[in-house]
Amino acid sequence: MTRFNDLYSEADTFLHRLDPRVKMASVLMLSLLAFIMSSLAYLLVLLTFIFILLLLARSSYRKTAFAMKFVLRFMALIAILWPLFDPSGTPVLIRLGPVVITEPGIWRGLTSAIRVGCLATVWYILIFTTSQRDLVRGLVKLGLRFDFGLALAIALRYFPAFGTVMDSIIDAQRSRGMEFEKGNIFARARKYVAVLGPAIVSALKTADMLALAMQSRAYGARRNRTYLRELRMRLSDYVALATVLAMFVVPAVAKYVLSVPI
Amino acid sequence: MNAVVTAQRLPVISLQDVSFSYEGGIEALKRVSLRVAKGEKVAVVGGNGSGKTTLAKHLNGLLKPSSGKVLIGGQDSSRTSVATLARTVGYVFQNPDYQLFCTSVEEEVRFGPHSMGLGRDDESALVERSMKLMGIGHLREQSPISLSLGDRRKVAIASVLATSPEVFVLDEPTTGLDTVESAQLMATLDVLRSEGMTVVLITHEMRLVAQHMDRVIAMSEGSVAFDTEVEEAFSDSDRLRRCKLLAPPITVLAQRLRAQGALSKGAATPLQLVEQVVRVRGERR
Repeated sequence: MTRFNDLYSEADTFLHRLDPRVKMASVLMLSLLAFIMSSLAYLLVLLTFIFILLLLARSSYRKTAFAMKFVLRFMALIAILWPLFDPSGTPVLIRLGPVVITEPGIWRGLTSAIRVGCLATVWYILIFTTSQRDLVRGLVKLGLRFDFGLALAIALRYFPAFGTVMDSIIDAQRSRGMEFEKGNIFARARKYVAVLGPAIVSALKTADMLALAMQSRAYGARRNRTYLRELRMRLSDYVALATVLAMFVVPAVAKYVLSVPI
Repeated sequence: MNAVVTAQRLPVISLQDVSFSYEGGIEALKRVSLRVAKGEKVAVVGGNGSGKTTLAKHLNGLLKPSSGKVLIGGQDSSRTSVATLARTVGYVFQNPDYQLFCTSVEEEVRFGPHSMGLGRDDESALVERSMKLMGIGHLREQSPISLSLGDRRKVAIASVLATSPEVFVLDEPTTGLDTVESAQLMATLDVLRSEGMTVVLITHEMRLVAQHMDRVIAMSEGSVAFDTEVEEAFSDSDRLRRCKLLAPPITVLAQRLRAQGALSKGAATPLQLVEQVVRVRGERR
C-alpha cells in the first residue's frame, strides 16, 4: 500500500497562505454546517463547494487519490448499508424476508453519505494545505501549552517512522515463520502481540533517547519562548474568516431561528 | 570459493536477472544474477544505499522481484510464502529489537521451531544447541529486552538459528558487539559452515570479510559491481573505492610490501601475511 510521510503538499495557493488558525476555524465551521444541514440538495451544494476548494488546494494527484479513495469508499458503504438497517417510513420499495428497504431510508442513506463526504474532505483539505509545523504553531497561538504543541509535532513527525518500524518488525517475524494471514480473527490478533511488543519497546526507547537528546541541548532552559516566524492575521485572513462565518451563521439562523427547512 | 566453482555446484539460492523497484519508482536492484552454493560463506558488501539489504531480503522472499526470478532451494520465491521459505533461509535483522517479544530468552529461542511444528524433543534439542552456540545458556530465564545490545543480538541470532535453516543470512550482525563478541560470532559462523550451512553476511567490516568469508559480492547502485573470491576482491583498490569500500589494513600492508618486491603475493589475513613473509625469507636463504 502507498504510504506517505505527510499528506501536506507544498504549493503557493491562497489556501496555503491562509493563517492556520483561520483554516482550523473554517474547517470546524464547515464541519458543523454539514451537521446542521439535513436537506440533500443543500448538502450537495456544500459538497460541491468543498470539492472546488479541494481542486484549488492543488495537492499532488497521488495524495489526493490516496485520501479520496477512502472517503468515496466510506460514502458508498454508508449509502448502501443505511437503507438496509433503517426500514422506517413509506413507501416500501423492497421487502426480502427481514430486509425492508424504504424510499426515505435510501434518501437518509444518501444524505448521511454526503454529510460524511463533506466532513472528511474538508479535514483533508486542512491537512493538504497546512504543514504539521504550522498546524502546531496555530494551536500554540490559540492557547495550547508549548510543551504539548511540541509533543504533538514530534508525534506527528515520528508517526511515519513508526510505520516503517512496524513493517520491519512484521518482516522480522515473518522471517521466523509467522504467518499473519492464517487463522481466525482471534488467532490473528494473538499473533500481533509479536509485533506490538517490539513496537512499543522501540517507541519507548526512541522517546527516552529523544528526551535525553533534547535535554542535552538545553530544552526548557528558558521559560519565555520567542518565535522566528510570528503568526499575524492579514486582510485576506479576515476576509476568508468572515466569508466562512457568514456561510455558517446564515444557515444556522435560518434553520434554528427562522425554522427554514435546510 | 571460486565463482566458477560455485556456478558448477548445485545452487541453494539462484537469482536470475532480478530487478526490484520500491514504491515511488526507486530502482534498488538492477538485473542482478548470482548463485549461492551449499556450504559457501558469502559476504555482501557495498556503501550505504547500494542495494545490499534489498538483495538480502530477496534471499528469503521478504521482497519479491519486480522482474526476473529468485529460486530458493528450488522454489520460486514469488510463488512461495515467506513462512515456507523460512525453513530454508534464516534471516537475522540488523536491529535485534525488531524480533524480541517473549518474556524469557528460552521462550524467544523456542518461538521459531515451535511455529514450525517440530516435536517437543526436536524443538528442545535445537533450542539448547542454538543457545550453547551463541553462549547465552546462562541467560535463559531473563527477559530479552532487559539484556545489553550485544546479548540481545546473540538472542536474536540464536532464535533464527533454532529454526535450523540451510542458509543463514545475517544483516550487519557485529554492530554493537565488542571485539571479543565479534570474534566469537564469527567463530560460530565458522562452526556452522563446517557443518554444511551456507552463510550470507551483509557487513561493512572488511577485516571480518577478509578473515572469515570465501567470496565477496560487492554491490554498487543496485548492481553487482564484482563477485569474486576474497583475495581477488581486495586486490584492486580503485575498484574498491568505486564501491565505497576500503581493503583491510593487512591487505593494504601486503600490497605495499608486494609493490616493493618484499612479497610475491597479496594477503587478506594476518596468517596469510606471516606465511608469505616466511616463504619469501625461505626462498631468499
